Amino acid sequence: MDIDDILASVDRGAGASSASTAIDHQLLTRFWVAERAVSEVLPWPTALMERMMDRVRWQIETIEDLAASSSDAPDPSSKSNNATLNLRLSILQTDLARTQFLIRSVLRTRLAKLSKHSMHYLVLLSSRSTNPSATQSQTQPSQSSMDTSTATNTRPEDSVPDISSVTDLSPLSEAEAQFLHTHQSLLASHYAGSFMGAFPMNLRRLDDNAGGTSMVQGPENREVVFVRCLGGEVPVIVAAAAAEEDAIDIGVTMRMGDVWVVRWEGVRDAWERGEVELL
Amino acid sequence: MAFPHPRGIIPSEIAFLAEMEMVTVVPRQRLEGLELLGGPIEPLVPPRRASLPLWLALLLKRQRRANIIPPAWLHPDPLGLILEVESQHQDYKNAFSPPPPLPGQPSVQDRAALEPIARPQYTPDGDRYYPSPPFLAQNTAQASTSARDMPALPFHWVEVGNMLLDAASDDLVDPDQTRRLLKDLREVRMAKMRSGVDVLDAAATGGGGVALTGVGAMEVGEERGFVAGVVNGLRKIGASKEQARREAMAEQRANGGYDGTQDDEEEDYMEF
Repeated sequence: MDIDDILASVDRGAGASSASTAIDHQLLTRFWVAERAVSEVLPWPTALMERMMDRVRWQIETIEDLAASSSDAPDPSSKSNNATLNLRLSILQTDLARTQFLIRSVLRTRLAKLSKHSMHYLVLLSSRSTNPSATQSQTQPSQSSMDTSTATNTRPEDSVPDISSVTDLSPLSEAEAQFLHTHQSLLASHYAGSFMGAFPMNLRRLDDNAGGTSMVQGPENREVVFVRCLGGEVPVIVAAAAAEEDAIDIGVTMRMGDVWVVRWEGVRDAWERGEVELL
Repeated sequence: MAFPHPRGIIPSEIAFLAEMEMVTVVPRQRLEGLELLGGPIEPLVPPRRASLPLWLALLLKRQRRANIIPPAWLHPDPLGLILEVESQHQDYKNAFSPPPPLPGQPSVQDRAALEPIARPQYTPDGDRYYPSPPFLAQNTAQASTSARDMPALPFHWVEVGNMLLDAASDDLVDPDQTRRLLKDLREVRMAKMRSGVDVLDAAATGGGGVALTGVGAMEVGEERGFVAGVVNGLRKIGASKEQARREAMAEQRANGGYDGTQDDEEEDYMEF
């Protein structure tokens, strides 16, 4: 090990210690299982993902260095040495492939959810926007906004909310938000070209909610999930009535180590605190 | 289509998870320690025992570079005992045998007397983190702590058991008997899972749920689609009932003290 290696290990900072490598790997694994288990997009773990991507990059470099050193060592006396080198290489590559699979699966799952519920997430993001005009159609589904929208928005593309000014992108990552907007714009112009252009003016919006039925479909949070309770005691909490925010309905109480089939909305908060894990 | 699989991890992904379980090996050759993305690997020095993730242990085993010491539960005696509890014991007629305790959780005998104390670790971001399978040492050779502890099936028992029977049957004690017992256990537990369908209605109501403590990962994977489908159907059937119940509760509250939210709701309704 020379001075460059020491500097490099310092550069990698807190994420470089082996204990945090193991914990990060466990966190990524748990996040993957959770992301696969529910139908909404979970909050993007920015810090964790950055650390993981750094480590993957670093590991690829290590493997390339090792492979290079094995190919330019023509010394025939080191044959047994070469055998363990190949073994080490194959172990490192297997480990890398397993981690890459996890990351890829997380990303693909999220992309699938995003393209399925794209309008829902766009509306969610734009409702946080500081620019009030972007949110008008959702915040007041009343007659007045229908009038203005029929007058100004006649193309389906116009109903795609603009999220460029939104700063808080949770639960998405930056790249995902960008994908979401581009994807939905393309989709809207395709719809316009293929069939929506023939519709009456006031039926061309993609977030149409005339007649009390919203055309925007979100993920189903009342689906059941399998969870294991990790904290001491965790109650299942669901909102009692949609009209009253603070009124809650406390259901069964899970105890440590228990596995339950419960509604996702009932354990979502506990999941965010890390007191339950999805199976 | 970015991702074709349904909600919830599928069996091959569950097996992938199970390969992260730590097992004990006796190496046959030296290998220096490695920094893997899943955490560091200790140096292998024969004949000293070492703990490795199952995927690595199987890789070494297939190349005859190591022998795997089977986990304590993967042995005809404890498996026979668990099978007896699952099929005969009065307390476990409709439940699975208790799983191995999590860190900080008292063992089954002490559970009435002692409160569980969850012992969190901390993530690099400073959040609390409670480790759970597959990252607990439930499949290492020294897994069972004391003799009076009842043997228990770990979360990934189906996968770990089958993978070891496939790849390392020469390291197991009486693999044929073990295989038979695993199959019997699976059938007994599958029958319990099916007889539990009646109570699924409880999971369809708001705060309700169905307890499946002691269930294995593969068993969850097998039942996920069915259970989720049934509960979803029941929820839709019961939706109007639940709505009525919620409205009754809201009314009770409104009678106790008037608040403005009721008014808004009415206004929304009138517009449509």
